Amino acid sequence: MNRLNQLPTLRITPSEKLSLNYRGKTVQGVAGDTVATALFANGVRVFARSLKYHRPRGLYSLDGECSNTCMDVNGVPNVRTENTLLKDGMVVREQNVKGSADRDWLAFIDKLDWMMPAGFYYKTMHKPAAIWPVAMKQIRKAAGIGVISADYQMKGQYDEMFIKAEVTVIGGGAAGMTAALAAAESGQRVVLLESRPHLGGCFDYRVSTTAEGTPLYERARDLAEKVKLTGNIRVFKHTSMVGAYNNNLITAFQVGKASDTFTERYIEIRSDSVVVATGCIERPLIFDHNERPGVMQVGCAHRMARTYGLLPGSEAVFSVGHDLGLEAAVDLFDLGLKINCVADIREDGQNPELMLALAERKIPVLKGWVAAKAHGCKKVEKVTLSTVEGTVKRQFPCDLLVASAGLTPVTGPFILAQAKMGYDSHTGYFLPTELPEKMFPAGRITGVNHPGAIEASGRLAGLKAAAAAGADVGKTVAEAEKAASVLPGPERGCKLVTAPVKGRKSFICFDEDTTIKNIKQAIEMGFDVPELIKRFTSAGTGPGQGGIPGHNLPLFVAKYTASISTPVPTTVRPPLVPTFLATYAGYNHHMFKHTPLHDSQIADGGIFRNIGVWQRARYFSADFDCREEILNVRNNVGMLDGSTLGKFRIHGPDALKALQRVYVSDMSKVKEGRIKYSAMCNDDGCVIDDGVVVKLGENDYYFTTSTGRAGQTVEWIRYHTRFDGWDFSLVNLTDAMGVINISGPNARKVLSKVVDIDLSSEAFPFSGYREFLIKDAVFVRAMRLGFVGELSYELHVPSSYTQAVWDLLKEAGAEFGIRNFGVEAQNVLRMEKCHVILGSESEQRTNLLDLGLGFLWDRKKADAKTVGAVALRQAEKDAGRLKLVGIRMEDDDRPARDGALIVDNNVRGYVATMRKSFTTGQAVGMALVESQLADIGTRIEIFEDECNGVRLYARVVATPFYDPKGERMKS
Amino acid sequence: MALTLTCPVCGKRNGYEFRYGGEDKGPRPVEAGLTPAAWCDYVHMNKCTAGVQKEWWCHRDGCGSWFTTWRDTTQNLEVAKPEASK
Repeated sequence: MNRLNQLPTLRITPSEKLSLNYRGKTVQGVAGDTVATALFANGVRVFARSLKYHRPRGLYSLDGECSNTCMDVNGVPNVRTENTLLKDGMVVREQNVKGSADRDWLAFIDKLDWMMPAGFYYKTMHKPAAIWPVAMKQIRKAAGIGVISADYQMKGQYDEMFIKAEVTVIGGGAAGMTAALAAAESGQRVVLLESRPHLGGCFDYRVSTTAEGTPLYERARDLAEKVKLTGNIRVFKHTSMVGAYNNNLITAFQVGKASDTFTERYIEIRSDSVVVATGCIERPLIFDHNERPGVMQVGCAHRMARTYGLLPGSEAVFSVGHDLGLEAAVDLFDLGLKINCVADIREDGQNPELMLALAERKIPVLKGWVAAKAHGCKKVEKVTLSTVEGTVKRQFPCDLLVASAGLTPVTGPFILAQAKMGYDSHTGYFLPTELPEKMFPAGRITGVNHPGAIEASGRLAGLKAAAAAGADVGKTVAEAEKAASVLPGPERGCKLVTAPVKGRKSFICFDEDTTIKNIKQAIEMGFDVPELIKRFTSAGTGPGQGGIPGHNLPLFVAKYTASISTPVPTTVRPPLVPTFLATYAGYNHHMFKHTPLHDSQIADGGIFRNIGVWQRARYFSADFDCREEILNVRNNVGMLDGSTLGKFRIHGPDALKALQRVYVSDMSKVKEGRIKYSAMCNDDGCVIDDGVVVKLGENDYYFTTSTGRAGQTVEWIRYHTRFDGWDFSLVNLTDAMGVINISGPNARKVLSKVVDIDLSSEAFPFSGYREFLIKDAVFVRAMRLGFVGELSYELHVPSSYTQAVWDLLKEAGAEFGIRNFGVEAQNVLRMEKCHVILGSESEQRTNLLDLGLGFLWDRKKADAKTVGAVALRQAEKDAGRLKLVGIRMEDDDRPARDGALIVDNNVRGYVATMRKSFTTGQAVGMALVESQLADIGTRIEIFEDECNGVRLYARVVATPFYDPKGERMKS
Repeated sequence: MALTLTCPVCGKRNGYEFRYGGEDKGPRPVEAGLTPAAWCDYVHMNKCTAGVQKEWWCHRDGCGSWFTTWRDTTQNLEVAKPEASK
């Protein structure tokens, strides 16, 4: 198709050729094309098939207001091709077709519409119930839009941006640009958002002139240049505003150009005031077959020619209701389009200059006429025009029917800002009855259409917004107000809703194939509110987000129900335009913390897992039962990277008081040189954390928390002491200190080769705490703990030295065959000792007493107001709680899975952790069970997922399973 | 999501940086003679004011302070301390 390559209004670069693949064929487009216009240039007229009836659909609005041109682009379904700039090498397919868009095997469904009245899906598919699964499968195959492949991976870079400004202007047309320039005069920061890839709005493609005689497209380019030269205006093009929240927080997303580093970018703007200059879209004209390929709106036809250089047809009929339609007819005629007739819905009120221009070109004009039916199947062949009353009809041949009932303002931003919308009987628009705070309308959204008035309203809104944001512009505002008042105000809008038709094939919503007949059916069934009719008929719930039926539906409902009250609009919600979830997800960081020993754990063959905010080495061989790692600790010596442990220091005059508040034990009994194991509860007495505390000096303590609690501990302690005004300092040392755990019967021998102090059990006993230097340089805090149930030292080392100490120990242990053990081995080792891990042996409802840790709780410190103490006192009297018990499977070769349920006829508890213990040869573990089942010897029944009715059995046994007297860990 | 809060240390910041700490219910009650019901009320019962209420916030992604402020729950906006009712 030949392009009009010389027009000054073009937004394409005809010399720069791009190619795309459509249905296996390579076709050419040019830079600046959208996918839709490139396909149109190559003769594609049927872009897709409709949701329900598989009707052929073509180019209609050019701004993505309906799903007509949604296609599958590069594997992404439902891409709005009118809004998607062409990139070289794109692969485009049509969707919801059996065959092709041109020849769709399912097109016959269009003839079955009588079977599918409004709500048929809800009403017919449930009787008999058995039909539903079968019917659903078939319906889903036949109806719908795009399909995504199950293993599709979203490609691209998704960015995000959080910016601050004084004024945000939504819409980069003439009014928006003028508003931005006016607001920027006082030096304020202005953000300008434009959803198209270029500024200009409705001036961008028009050759009619301003009062000074400048063509509008030139005026738009002048304004854009001024905006570009104004340093305090930030322009975001190809950026759709999607949300407005209180405090005038605006969200939007920007589509990246080829030269940008992002594919799409989420933008969140905090500004003091907002100018809404979103302009108007067209209100679709409803008549029979009003969505046939070849029927398009005025702006679409006009912009196809002026912006993309593509004459949208050869022989046209216009059926319009506003002057823009007449202007387009004149201009398109001059560009070479044959126009057989222009039907104007209005009897009078046309711009006399435009009427003269039409007369000069000998274009017949019918006033008070409207399109009643489009003929032809895959494209328009002729059209029946009728008087508005339906009394007289005439037919005209054409391959292009430009149809538009009127204009409708894009009020989404106001609705999102919770403005109440009311019907304005002069313009026929739904406009805010009261403006939201610091939000100002500008341009065509207010009903003005005169170019001078558009700019004047933009300037006024921009100044008002600047004033609302704190600029001192009172006098300028008054001048701008005066200037705007002498220009033409809002124009009377066309109110016609439908042509005189019955409406069986007159579509009010294209996305959901909703006809006028469907709306009538819904009303006859008793629905009277547009909002409910919208849901019942699904009109306006498709990808176009109500762009097509949003205005017509309430108007039609008011008319059809003969409502005496004014029409009530339906509402909109964010996002206002379809947005990729990937855009909201942003960078999709794969963010984890690494311990100081991370690299050496990798070098040692660690297999990592994400554990909380960390990545930790869980296994050191492909044997996920960790037999060798476990037995090595039990019989020899192993080393574990325990750096993820939460580590804190608290000091200051009231440090002890703070500890007394959060720990259940009496912390005044912590002795220097000894560690104390204790736990923290929440106000319900449920255990949230356990760890050890050591006393470094008077009111100076070092303590550890579990890995998962490290992030919240400071906040927790400060929260529970917030009323007390205590003086203490709390430092999170989690990342500053690494932790090496060396465990096993040979641990002492290895450690003694590295440190100088006496490690004998007398000098450094179990539960002891020592500080010393390694190599006279590295300061170490050492604790003798027994988590894994062997002789064990935990060394807390400054992070930067942790690797060095690790290497020393490894070297020293080489002669004993020291080796790493991972988190899973530790999990089994401690399970054999029945040492709990909070989160494994407990959940949110598990309290201190349930876990058998009641001995930690000191009841005699009521003055400390210990968190959880009151609830624990209550819980002591509660018999109906779960208890933690040890269990052993009757079949030692078949341990139950973690989390398996303990049942009789009801659920009576669950298995917390269970493994086959290599040390004892038994399948043992811990379970939380109801207290009636907690006695030793009780037989319990275990249910696992997918067990097919086969239950497992275990018995409650004494704990711990290994070294009950603790001789080994104390050795 | 549009909430901003004024931290006494760091000033007005994006609401994303803060953690909510509940309505202000005053200091922990003295344990002596405390009935379970009174305790439960203190811990779990909230006024859920539709309007301006005093509440606790933690500047988690900032200085870490706990502080009280006033918020209009119907608009989710921080507001100035209301004048004492007569």
